[in-house]
Amino acid sequence: MKIDLPAKEKVYRQNKGLLVSLHIDAWLLLGILGLIVIGSLIVFSASGADTEVLSRHLVRVGFAFALMILFAQIPPNLLMVYTPWVFAIGTIMLASVLLFGDIGKGAKRWLDLGFFRFQPSEIMKLALPMMIAWLFAHDTLPPSNKKMLVGIGLVGLISGLIIVQPDLGTSILIAMSGLFVLFFAGLSWRFILSAMALVAASLPIIWNFYMYDYQKQRVLTFLNPESDPLGTGYHIIQSKIAIGSGGIEGKGFMGSTQAHLEFLPESTTDFIFSVLAEEFGLIGVAVLLLLYLLVIARGLYIAYQAQENFARLAAASLVMTLFVYVFVNVGMVSGLLPVVGLPLPLLSYGGSSLVTLMVSFGILMSIHTHKRLLTS
Amino acid sequence: MRNRHHYQTENEISQQKRLFRARIYFALAFAIVFFLVLLGRMTYLQWVGYNHYHSMAEGNRISVEPIPAVRGRIYDRNHILLADNQPVFVLRFSKDKIQSISDTIHRLHDILPDLPEQKLNKFEERLKVSSKYRPIYLPYTLSESEAARFAGNSYQFPGITLVAKLKRTYPFGSAAVHALGYVGKINQKEYAGLNESRYAGTDVIGKLGVEKFYEPILHGFPGLQQVETNARGRVIRKLETIPAKPGKDIQLTIDIRLQEYIEKYLDGKKAAVVVTDPKTGDILAYVSSPGYDPNLFVDGISQTNYQKLLTNHNRPLINRVLNGQYPPGSTIKPFVALAAIENNIISPEKQIYDPGFFEFKDHRYRDWKRQGHGLVNMNTAIAQSCDTYFYELSLDMGIDLIHDSLYPFGFGHHTGIDLYNESIGILPSKAWKKNTKGESWYKGETIIAAIGQGYFLATPLQLAKATSIMANRGEVVEPHLLKGMAEPEKEQIPIQKIKNWEEVIQAMVDVMHGSRGTARRYARDLPFKIAGKTGTAQVFSLNEAEYDEENIKKSLRDHSLFIGFAPVEKPKIAISVIIENSTLKAAPVAVDIIKYYLTELHDEN
Repeated sequence: MKIDLPAKEKVYRQNKGLLVSLHIDAWLLLGILGLIVIGSLIVFSASGADTEVLSRHLVRVGFAFALMILFAQIPPNLLMVYTPWVFAIGTIMLASVLLFGDIGKGAKRWLDLGFFRFQPSEIMKLALPMMIAWLFAHDTLPPSNKKMLVGIGLVGLISGLIIVQPDLGTSILIAMSGLFVLFFAGLSWRFILSAMALVAASLPIIWNFYMYDYQKQRVLTFLNPESDPLGTGYHIIQSKIAIGSGGIEGKGFMGSTQAHLEFLPESTTDFIFSVLAEEFGLIGVAVLLLLYLLVIARGLYIAYQAQENFARLAAASLVMTLFVYVFVNVGMVSGLLPVVGLPLPLLSYGGSSLVTLMVSFGILMSIHTHKRLLTS
Repeated sequence: MRNRHHYQTENEISQQKRLFRARIYFALAFAIVFFLVLLGRMTYLQWVGYNHYHSMAEGNRISVEPIPAVRGRIYDRNHILLADNQPVFVLRFSKDKIQSISDTIHRLHDILPDLPEQKLNKFEERLKVSSKYRPIYLPYTLSESEAARFAGNSYQFPGITLVAKLKRTYPFGSAAVHALGYVGKINQKEYAGLNESRYAGTDVIGKLGVEKFYEPILHGFPGLQQVETNARGRVIRKLETIPAKPGKDIQLTIDIRLQEYIEKYLDGKKAAVVVTDPKTGDILAYVSSPGYDPNLFVDGISQTNYQKLLTNHNRPLINRVLNGQYPPGSTIKPFVALAAIENNIISPEKQIYDPGFFEFKDHRYRDWKRQGHGLVNMNTAIAQSCDTYFYELSLDMGIDLIHDSLYPFGFGHHTGIDLYNESIGILPSKAWKKNTKGESWYKGETIIAAIGQGYFLATPLQLAKATSIMANRGEVVEPHLLKGMAEPEKEQIPIQKIKNWEEVIQAMVDVMHGSRGTARRYARDLPFKIAGKTGTAQVFSLNEAEYDEENIKKSLRDHSLFIGFAPVEKPKIAISVIIENSTLKAAPVAVDIIKYYLTELHDEN
């Protein structure tokens, strides 16, 4: 499809500032930058002031930032056109991971394309909710029950493909990103509640027949971390010590003894929140949560303002997926939820999830700024 | 379908907007509520739980490594080392640095082929379940060549470190083991009663003997090394050091040369010998034969070796000196006689006719000499060990007078030796029988008690103590193993007439040197005079249940006893000897020991 900018927009770009002409939303940008700055500081601290780690992190951040800006330029209509294709390719890749995938940590998650290793489930974090949003794009909400069932079928297909990799955590999160679309599209409360009841009822069956021992172990350890203080429970105990010993004001920047003395595992990735909590205390935690809330609230506002169903549903779902990531990660490191390998959005050191995330922010910004263009 | 939305009614659109708005509001509320939950959780951890987690973080970071104190050495009276600490090489395993446990163990066995496979397998199991963050030691000491071989190959074994440790060694092996005892790994029960900080870094404790009794002196106080560690236990920097206070060396009263002489002489026969210096109560030799090698116990004894010791017919693990309770037999006679003349029951000159038996209430109590000794006075009764004389004497005394007179000599109660778990034997009395058996006393029982049979039981140590008191003419000394102990005020048994003591002692001299003394043939041509008393005890003391037939026959033989001291005028040595089942005569053994000590050893001192 050809993109030609109407003359009106060219004028608009010239008149408004740089942010507007780059389709960047100032509030989202503020929140994202704030989180990225905090994240970089903590990565630096947790790595033991390793400038090499920090520079690698900043390079990735820069790359992801560029991607965000790039996606912000793509109008939602265009995204909508490509969505089924991306979804189809993603599904094929997921299927081929099962056939040809690289074995890492006992699970097939990566596809080795020769020049780089790629995790197709990352694409699905965006492609699945957008695909379902695409499905409902031209309906009056709520869509028909038949369409809802098609949406549920897609969720089941994709999360099923990921669950057999096996990657329970990612599969649940991707399923939720799809289900959020159904929720925002108006899935009836009665259906939601009965589905939740059904899931609760089937948990024992899942436990007995569909869960691997290591997954069961994680849940058991979560219920009683002290039962295995030097095995799986070790992470959670040490993480709680890190968080708790931070107190209200924290031990100060670079003051994390838990991370520096290597008690805290994965301190730059999954457990980076614990380092922040240890160094900046309850005050730092509150600031961090406020920043996330700012991003989430702004994202929901963008969804609310959107005129098209596709944009609305995709935006709202992406925002809520971000919320789930934050909640699950913080809940996990503080011992509220079982340990699932999941980074803290925008803070954790590491490539692919940051890229996916920034692309979703780009999409959000595109939705907002292009809408404004259309209505202005 | 694509164009369907163009036909949406106004109503449909506003309804859709309302629905979507409601869902957005709900989502926002949902997010806020769950963030509040997180904030609540953080408040709980960081505010409410701060003190708890703060101290845990400190505990994580600062680790106090104990520096074990060097255990005090044990010397004999001539400053010869009996218990030493030797540097030995052991292997320390840091599990977190070991890739494959079974592979490592396998390769280790290639380098150290002498290492018992069973031990290695057991250790492998232990290693697999042990904590990742605490080092553990292979319970095996490497010989010097093994240590060298390992050091040369250590690059192949990341996670295994060769470390030098001090290990208790007993250079004389089994010599005096029942007095010395040994150290061994602290067991669960011992841990319960321990001051943990005092034992930090130590895994051995005195188990028996002097090692146990003087544990508080020998052990010392551990030092502390405060270090900052990371999670793998690697020391990052040292913060503070308090050096350990080594345990005190102690010197024993034992003369290891005399001890070894006696043990060689007994050659593993079942026997107990106690040699004391009657003036001081110093125990010069403490022999419970057979002995065993205490070195076997230091690292934890193997099941096979322990079974061997347990099933050995000669029962080497029994401390016969302390816990062997034997009927003292005729060795008790001088003490009974002394009590009788001191209490004016009889005069030493009074003669009694011995037809070879004594009759009381239709029962004949036989003398060991069937044809009888004829007319005997006190001297001849002791020298020839006439039973009848004492049968008759005992009825005139009554059991309670015998009890009350013998009690000050140390029978029936603790000798006060510096060892734990001393047996006290039995010094019978009417009250004793009432208390323990709930029965009243029969006079017939008095008759056999007077010759050291019946209920009467004494330990070799009690006999040695009583003999020392006799040699001291009533001055009570407590036998002890620690040299240079502050002596308590010595008690003196009240003496009516010192002549009485000399009468009894003269009778004991006549046992050895008189024309008809029971031990005269052993004491010819001695350059000094010994006062002694032989004895024979019927067997029913140690549990003989599991003995095989040949051993039953042997074990039914009487025990041979001897007590004595020398030189008579100025005693330098007192001795008690019990040889089980008369595999030797006790008297000649004792005479040889006395001779060896007085002529070869004592002169040197």
